[in-house]
Amino acid sequence: MGIAKLEDAKSSQSLPITKPESRLYMSFIHVAFISLLIGGLMGLLQTLVRSGKFELPWGIDYYQILTVHGVILGLVLTTYFIIGFHFALMGKTVGISEKQRKVTWLAFWVMVVGTIMTATTILLGEASVLYTFYAPLRAHPAFYIGLALVIIGSWVAGFVNWRQLYVWKKQNPGVKSPLAAFMVTINTLLWFIASLGVAAAVLIQFIPWSLGYAETINVLVSRTLFWYFGHPLVYFWLLPAYMAWYLVIPKIIGGKIFSDSLARMSFVLFLFFSIPVGFHHQLTEPGVDPTWKFIQVVLTFMVVIPSLMTAFSLFATFEITGRKKGYGGLFGWFKHLPWKDVRFLAPFIGMLAFIPGGAGGIINASHQMNAVVHNTIWVTGHFHLTVATTVILTFFGITYWLVPHLTGRKLTPQLNKLGIVQAIIWTVGMTIMSGAMHIVGLFGAPRRSSYSEYGGTEQASEWIGYQLAQAVGGTILFIGILLMIYIFVKLTFFAPKGEEEFPIAEEEEDAEPTPAFFENWKLWIAITIALILFAYTIPFVDIIQNSPPGSKPFDFPIGR
Amino acid sequence: MSNLQEKKTDPNQKKEPELKGTLISVFLVGAFIVISWIGVFVLFISR
Ligand code: HEM
Ligand SMILES: [Cu+2]
Repeated sequence: MGIAKLEDAKSSQSLPITKPESRLYMSFIHVAFISLLIGGLMGLLQTLVRSGKFELPWGIDYYQILTVHGVILGLVLTTYFIIGFHFALMGKTVGISEKQRKVTWLAFWVMVVGTIMTATTILLGEASVLYTFYAPLRAHPAFYIGLALVIIGSWVAGFVNWRQLYVWKKQNPGVKSPLAAFMVTINTLLWFIASLGVAAAVLIQFIPWSLGYAETINVLVSRTLFWYFGHPLVYFWLLPAYMAWYLVIPKIIGGKIFSDSLARMSFVLFLFFSIPVGFHHQLTEPGVDPTWKFIQVVLTFMVVIPSLMTAFSLFATFEITGRKKGYGGLFGWFKHLPWKDVRFLAPFIGMLAFIPGGAGGIINASHQMNAVVHNTIWVTGHFHLTVATTVILTFFGITYWLVPHLTGRKLTPQLNKLGIVQAIIWTVGMTIMSGAMHIVGLFGAPRRSSYSEYGGTEQASEWIGYQLAQAVGGTILFIGILLMIYIFVKLTFFAPKGEEEFPIAEEEEDAEPTPAFFENWKLWIAITIALILFAYTIPFVDIIQNSPPGSKPFDFPIGR
Repeated sequence: MSNLQEKKTDPNQKKEPELKGTLISVFLVGAFIVISWIGVFVLFISR
């Protein structure tokens, strides 16, 4: 009692996606797949170099390719794919007007111009500063300006999404917003609030400093602003995968959404607890008060709650659907899952990878224990499970239906089979590469390092076998990337014409109605900002007041 | 335009779905997390 309930929208939220819309959404996805190919090639080269059996030709520097890899896969591929997917979900559930579409094209081109500027500086060797661009390493100003344009373009895209929901709500007063649109709005809010941090660092600190207008830069402030953005960034990658898990997977397995309210609550909790936690990337940073590190570590651990809520809800969807189909026993329901459908299998492997991925994350964030893994290749192994497996395999799983849906083609049984092979190749390659990274990381092998014998120390000689294993895994992964590109090109240009379903599940028939307070956006934003102010104000003032002198730019050992 | 459908059943009569497998699965995930954590914690202590 007491809690106002929302009316359900007309049961199936399914608007047709028109040709011009498709072209817009596909443009984002095209950039994502071009990035996959380029970035994947760099990944392969990195593992080969680190095996000690291969040297980069033409004087190309290791940090140049590592910067390409990190920027193009971590920042470009993810952001473009996510925006394309966001728009597809919004178009399907709340619709898009012609004007909104035009503004989104503007956002797309601003982002593309920025991406080309940044990519060019990196390829010319003028920005070998890695995707974190830590000061005092200095890149060419065009690198930072390009990044700023990408961020600004992505904001415009996000504003359009908010406008889409706003217009829809005006037309449907008192009706609960479609779950998909709710989730997209949370993720774009998360992205906007978080990227204000890097935008500030780039616009106020890096651009004037790289242009020579400011002589020095406050290194700790810039790193703190980066990680204020850097952790929510990983949730910005992850939440679209969760959207697919909550909305799409139930439909593909022939089931219903377990609980609309639980899904909304978990997204709200991710919004709250993914931003005020950036210090967990700075646990070894001198100059940050340990008390505040501890407080942010505690806040970090809060995301365990929505994560396990998600795990519970997924298992429940599987079990309820299986039992309805008549599979009994404790785990009998496992058998009904559509293992031969790549739209299910690829994201499912992604879910499995998130179990060790999440466990690793908890270890990384455990304040003192972070010292065991900090700056070791364990960390690289960790995020190749989370982003490069969980997120990427789910995105591949989305691609198998979204791309043919948008291009008016069909996922043929043959392409489905190739997709399954692709998912298996990825799993094998990543188990080898990420497994080797985890183990040798615990032995102290550093990340972000080219091949070195470290002056012949005995400890370093223990690492080399694992580096060879990483090269084997990396080669298998690269084959997986080539196969995925082939499938993508097929689905985009060559697969037979037809109609592919846009699978969005519905709620259980007798589900409890969703409480109205979920539509209280002002409340969610206010709590988010309050948590950020709580976690950052005092330590940030402390950082500024007690800063050491700023640093002049360095172009060496890496930079430009 | 309003769309007040009669779909609410009596909540007391609703049969709760059987979710034993789900419960055990989530416990297994939790156990995996705890075991991994302890593993690295032991390493941390022993170094
Ligand atoms: C063929 C597949 C891939 C291979 C072989 C590969 C390999 C590697 C290696 C060896 C490193 C660490 C190098 C070092 O620290 O010195 C690395 C770093 C990284 N990888 Fe990958 N990777 C692959 C795919 C991906 C994907 C799909 C993503 C993201 C979606 C990704 C994101 C990153 C990021 C963000 C870094 C960190 C770069 C840095 O430390 O500056 N990788 N990768
Ligand atoms: Cu983090």
